Amino acid sequence: MLGGYVFTWGGIALGVAGLFAAGMEFHDAEHLCNILGFLVFLVVFLWAFAARSMPRVWLVLLGGGGLMTASASLIQHMLV
Amino acid sequence: MFQNLRLSMAWLHTWFGLVLGFVLMIVFFFGALSVFDREIDRWAIPSSRFEAQPMPSFDQVLKPVFETMQPSAERIDQLRNKVNGPVPTHFTTPSVWGAYTTHRDPVLGLFVGYEVPNAKEHDTRVFALRTIDPRSGASLPDDRLKIGSSFFYPMHYSLTFYWKNVGYWIVGLAALIMLAALVSGVIMHRKLFRELFTFRPNKNKQRSLLDLHNLTGVVALPFHFFFAFTGLVIFAGIYFPITHTQLEPLHELHERLDAEETGLPHDRAGVAAPMASVDAMVVEAQRRWAEKGMAGEVGFLAMRHVGDANGYVSIYRAGTDRIALTGEGIHFKAFTGELLREDPPSSAVDSVNEFLTGLHLQHFRHWLLRWLYVLGGLMGCVCIATGFLFFVEKRKRQHAKQGSQGARVVDALAVTTVTGMVVATLGILIANRLLPDSMGAGWPERQAMERYIFWGAWALAMVHAFLRSAPVAQGRLNPAWREQCLAVAGLAVVAVLLNWATTGDHLLRTLSAGYWPVAGVDLFMLAGAMVALFAARKLKQRAQRAPVLRPESSGPAHA
Repeated sequence: MLGGYVFTWGGIALGVAGLFAAGMEFHDAEHLCNILGFLVFLVVFLWAFAARSMPRVWLVLLGGGGLMTASASLIQHMLV
Repeated sequence: MFQNLRLSMAWLHTWFGLVLGFVLMIVFFFGALSVFDREIDRWAIPSSRFEAQPMPSFDQVLKPVFETMQPSAERIDQLRNKVNGPVPTHFTTPSVWGAYTTHRDPVLGLFVGYEVPNAKEHDTRVFALRTIDPRSGASLPDDRLKIGSSFFYPMHYSLTFYWKNVGYWIVGLAALIMLAALVSGVIMHRKLFRELFTFRPNKNKQRSLLDLHNLTGVVALPFHFFFAFTGLVIFAGIYFPITHTQLEPLHELHERLDAEETGLPHDRAGVAAPMASVDAMVVEAQRRWAEKGMAGEVGFLAMRHVGDANGYVSIYRAGTDRIALTGEGIHFKAFTGELLREDPPSSAVDSVNEFLTGLHLQHFRHWLLRWLYVLGGLMGCVCIATGFLFFVEKRKRQHAKQGSQGARVVDALAVTTVTGMVVATLGILIANRLLPDSMGAGWPERQAMERYIFWGAWALAMVHAFLRSAPVAQGRLNPAWREQCLAVAGLAVVAVLLNWATTGDHLLRTLSAGYWPVAGVDLFMLAGAMVALFAARKLKQRAQRAPVLRPESSGPAHA
């Protein structure tokens, strides 16, 4: 669950920063990523239970989440 | 972890469903009641039992009230950790005056957001609230609890557990688990479509319970999924506060650009200025809506940077005939009354978001759909409750042989959450009719007393459920189910009679006058009493039929 949260946070952050940088209106980007974010969280949550390899789950969720979060901050840094 | 997908999903569904199911019962039950929250308010506050009113005149009615509103002592107290130095007791710089009304509101709720001097964060605000009779501008006493919109409704999304927003998080987690339970439930069941039509009440108890659980789950599957999902989206700002933390600089950037683009000033100018006639602005707004072919009532009216040269008034159309809550915002300069901006049509994403949140919050006028929402919510409750019962039934004989207390504990918790919750609900409504108008010195406020009685009644129901649960440890039925069903029936009738006794609005009168809000609440409680009586009778018959299972017997294992 925590892994899923980190992954989803990263996804939403990267989505919002990326879409805003690409020209989408800020609140539109925010709402769209929130809507998609919860669906992503659901899928990732179920996958964490069904998956066969726990280390792989952690790698994808924390690793992927961390990477996306960092990328979002990078984009923000370039814009502000 | 598990051999295959179905097993892992079954484990997830059972154990997460069990634990979060208790929270979800509360969310679904009070969510169903919240569809008619303003009607319950009418029942609880007899002085508000009149027809719904449109937004009254700002200049004549609202402005004088706004000017006198100050935050309550309780809210001022909450500022303690947010200011440097002593907490101010009186506030003079309102950043927003607002009023929101729908087609179901007789009384009008007003709010004022004040700037807080010496605040640690510059956009900290403290709020003052007031409810008025829009026909006269007279304020209603502050300690009349709106049991529907200010208790049952917040219970639904936050469990009224506000410390550090923990209640919101618990509900959010429960919503996520609900989605997971729905999907895992579908994966677990091979014959999904057939289960829509399968209910065998005359088969053994476990089979019928499972059938009913599947039926109520599947029939309203889109409803349950949609509501859990949109509930999460509505509070996304709390669950993923990304744009106010990690991406806050980006958010600020956008707000500055936006303010330049829209012409709606972000900050005060620091120059005092008088107000032009807001009523004239409302007339102009309504004229513009009519011109676009969507004549309508004012739903939301807000004035920002009150008293300042940068002040502006925003007027939104009530979404009575739409899914969106409010729309077609038109903004005027407060000082001169000139038009500043007419909101453009929503973008695609915005429309989707408005649609999702609007369908969940349902402020539109469509009575059939609202009743279907209540039905859906109650079906969700039945789905969760039958889940609990199935869990207990499946394990209680096993646990009886093993001498384990597991099934007993779960069963007692189930009684508490199903019938106990209804007992508490009726308890607060009865307290509402019986408590004196002012509690007198030394007693807590009337609305605090009502809340204490709610929780107290629920706690009593819990104690009763546990004390009576010994038979479950021997594989039998908990008598508390039947006893609480009888209590529910009795309390419901008492509540309806008390409404008559204390307000004179008995059913014959409210029905003949066509005053549905109060008649509806009374009828709903009476219908509930009949269901409870029917259940109690069935339970008595079942208890008389069931064989007693002795723990040491080596009868056929039943799992």
